[in-house]
Amino acid sequence: MNRFLNFLENHFMPVASKLGTQKHLQALRDGITLSMPMIIIGSFFLIIAFLPYFGDDPNRQYLITSEAIRAKLLIPQAATFGMMGLITAFGVAYRLAERYEIDAVTSGVIALCSFLIATPFATAFTPDGSKHTYTVTDVIPTAYMGSAGIFVAIVLGIFATEVFRWVLKKNIVIKMPDGVPPAVSKSFVALIPGFFVVTATWLVRLLIDYLHEIGATSASSLHDVVGAVLTEPLSALTGNLAGQIVVVFLISLFWIMGLHGDNIVGTIMSPIWLKATGDNAAAFAHHQAPSAIFTNEFYGSFVTIGGTGGTIALVLLFMLWSRSKQLKQLGKLAFPAGLFMINEPVIFGTPIVMNPLLFIPFFLAPIVNVIAAYIGMSTGLVAKTVAVVPWTTPPLVSGFLATGGHISGAIMQLISIALDLLLYLPFFKLWDKIKAREETEFTVNEPNKKAI
Amino acid sequence: MNILLCCAAGMSTSLLVTKMESYAKDQGLEGKIWAVSADDVKNHIDEAQVLLLGPQVRYLLSQFKKLGEEKGIPVDSINPVHYGMMNGAEVVKFALGLTK
Repeated sequence: MNRFLNFLENHFMPVASKLGTQKHLQALRDGITLSMPMIIIGSFFLIIAFLPYFGDDPNRQYLITSEAIRAKLLIPQAATFGMMGLITAFGVAYRLAERYEIDAVTSGVIALCSFLIATPFATAFTPDGSKHTYTVTDVIPTAYMGSAGIFVAIVLGIFATEVFRWVLKKNIVIKMPDGVPPAVSKSFVALIPGFFVVTATWLVRLLIDYLHEIGATSASSLHDVVGAVLTEPLSALTGNLAGQIVVVFLISLFWIMGLHGDNIVGTIMSPIWLKATGDNAAAFAHHQAPSAIFTNEFYGSFVTIGGTGGTIALVLLFMLWSRSKQLKQLGKLAFPAGLFMINEPVIFGTPIVMNPLLFIPFFLAPIVNVIAAYIGMSTGLVAKTVAVVPWTTPPLVSGFLATGGHISGAIMQLISIALDLLLYLPFFKLWDKIKAREETEFTVNEPNKKAI
Repeated sequence: MNILLCCAAGMSTSLLVTKMESYAKDQGLEGKIWAVSADDVKNHIDEAQVLLLGPQVRYLLSQFKKLGEEKGIPVDSINPVHYGMMNGAEVVKFALGLTK
């Protein structure tokens, strides 16, 4: 077992270090983090707008019956949650520039413009009662500004900053004749990198437009290209039950070595998961049924209940039934934190880290939670997630809110906690026995030593 | 002494901060103890005399050690057992030991 643990440590630590300190991945995570408050605020309005009606009237679906009021409530949602792509383009470029120690705000603004250059200012419009669809020009299509545009935003955010950095490194400047005040030359220096980025994105756009016009490709914009080569394969790989279980397993694997698996693996998963929640929210806001099961909230609210590993169950066992004083004390310490999804105390204090006995339920509980919630949502018994809640939202509340105010979300979490309790129970009993025995031996062997 | 702690989001280390503060107060130690997220360290490190990492982000240790060298302050990761039991006293002692 020790050899196995050493093997893990030796092989995963460098991977964790690489992934955790890779500049683009860090910028990606930080950039998305920047849009999180806006996404959560937008979710709040979305939840209110579509809060289900719990009374007797079978014809009434929502608490708010007036469509006019609902439309007003969705204004902030569309401008926050609905703009996550736009915000991400700025955020990723800004954070990456910060890591390269070049002008971050300028980078962000340049990326924002390249994102808009890559997006055709046109949208399809079908008037009521008409069979003909018209293309309306001179409008920014809101669909691409949101979750649908998030991968293009990431790609261009990185692209813009990389080109910006390249130009600065090459020191491409316009030489001014003597006699021109130095401040004037400097004002041109700042223009050049932006000019390069804008031109580069523009040329890409022209190329895609040309290929589309001559019929060489069906992709009509960079959004289609990135969708085909990046978004769809990634979503296909991870947007199913097997993919989800593999991801959850990997996250647990890092944690049992005491490494923050969510931060390491989650960085790669967050745009995919967040896009899925965003797609669901967009559908929901347009009165359509949300389709994605594996979203940011599926993982955050229905898999990691009380923290990675579904440890709220273990903490409850510690608090209520442990005979070991140390575990009881740990339970009391870890419970308030666990309620808000913080579980480092239980992971390092039990410890679960490097503890082969507790590996088993720690691996199994989240996988069981994935399967249980998948069954619940795919059969339609449990509402799918449509809103982003702060990751520190306590269980039951988070299930209720993330599903757009459905009790079925809270009940699903309750069922998963019960399953996790059963799963952890035998392992808890064994560990408690070991710990309690250690404690009695300690007092027998050292009777004069005061308990700490 | 100013002790800066960091973990992924600065959440669980902030729990440790309260335990460390009460020990520091008992010992009559002066200074500031605070927790931030790993991404926020660069904005706080100038105020710190020592930087401690939660064990779950120890994969960032080499990156932060480099930063610590630039700033001339010691950087290390917290003992996982002390971390798990939120043992403020031991972590303060550890920080004091690093700066000696």
